[in-house]
Amino acid sequence: MSEPHELSELEALAAEHALGVLSARERAEAEARMASDPAFAAMVEAWRGRMTPLLDAAPEVEPPAELWPRIERRLPANDDVRAVGRLRFWRGAAIGSLGLLAASLAAVVFLASQVTGLQTPVQPAPILNASLTPGAAGAQPLFVAAFDPQRQALIVTSLVPPGADPLHVHQLWLIPQDGKPRSLGFVEPGASRALPMPQTIAQLAAAGTSLAVSVEPPGGSTNPEGPSGPIAASGKLTPI
Amino acid sequence: MPAAPADLQPLMTRIAAGDRAALRQLYQATSAKLFGVALRILSDREEAEDVLQEVYVTVWRRADRYDAAKAGVMTWVATIARNRAIDRLRARGPMAYAEPVEDLQIADGGPGAEALLEAAGDAARLQGCLGELDGRTQAVIRTAFFEGVTYEALAHRMSEPLGTVKSWIRRGLAKLKGCLER
Repeated sequence: MSEPHELSELEALAAEHALGVLSARERAEAEARMASDPAFAAMVEAWRGRMTPLLDAAPEVEPPAELWPRIERRLPANDDVRAVGRLRFWRGAAIGSLGLLAASLAAVVFLASQVTGLQTPVQPAPILNASLTPGAAGAQPLFVAAFDPQRQALIVTSLVPPGADPLHVHQLWLIPQDGKPRSLGFVEPGASRALPMPQTIAQLAAAGTSLAVSVEPPGGSTNPEGPSGPIAASGKLTPI
Repeated sequence: MPAAPADLQPLMTRIAAGDRAALRQLYQATSAKLFGVALRILSDREEAEDVLQEVYVTVWRRADRYDAAKAGVMTWVATIARNRAIDRLRARGPMAYAEPVEDLQIADGGPGAEALLEAAGDAARLQGCLGELDGRTQAVIRTAFFEGVTYEALAHRMSEPLGTVKSWIRRGLAKLKGCLER
């Protein structure tokens, strides 16, 4: 047999992540890398695709009849659904994150430059990003976020290992100059999400504006004025 | 009868749009398979039922993130089921160290009865390629896959240095890829 080819370091990491042998910390790093590096994310997906057929070996077992009603009772209203065009954009963005975000912004700029009108093209407001860390300086971020002023949405990636705390939810807040927290929505551990922002809130986001994540009971903060649980991490928006 | 994979894709669009009937159809088509997967990993009915609930609630919430270009619906939901089941297994903590790898896994040699019974081409190919690896590497990769056991725990279980286990797995994965691409 010929010498088996070696995997590159990056591909080996992707394969290890798909297989599940990495430590919790390495997993979180790999998840973060997937969010910012589409090529790496594609490698992980390819390895998942290679390994998943192993699951076919598991025999089918009919679950008990009362399981479906239990599931149905747990379904939240599907509030993630937006206008179709936006959905398509975010479906990509949620997976490819910053790379695609930059690409889409480039497309927006390009399209804008095609429109020759009376007014001179307006320089687009820059994308702002933030690393949300627990209190101490130099601590590892628990969340990373990017605000795209053109789309009026915030992309956030949780670096918290999935399943870390099933009894609580992580709620993201924007805290502008006036000091009043505005809820932006929830971020599942290990997930990337695009949170659309209403105009009234988006216009409050600027360089220096704070973002914070609080740990809340399912359903979110019980305090209408702001977080009801402890703040897990916070950071400020800064231009890339 | 489970629906053919092609029938599942339109369901995802409907689920993303908040159609509960579509989720129910997906459940009917895939729940026996996913329950089998969760049971295979957890060996505990009650926990497997909990996992199944989480899987379909997750599918409901994240259907808008499903990308047909990247994975088939069955692969996508099976991956969610595996990951959720493994999260539970990990949450059991020290139990992950309980049994030595050899006792859990098939003996050296061919792909085994599992593969012979396999109808689907991908699965048969993967089993065949795994069968080309030496018995120990095969066992380690299967254990890692079905139990989400980290390098550290594997090394502990096998009483081998972490670097050794890591190089077995990396070499095994490289061979596996080479074989699957043939």
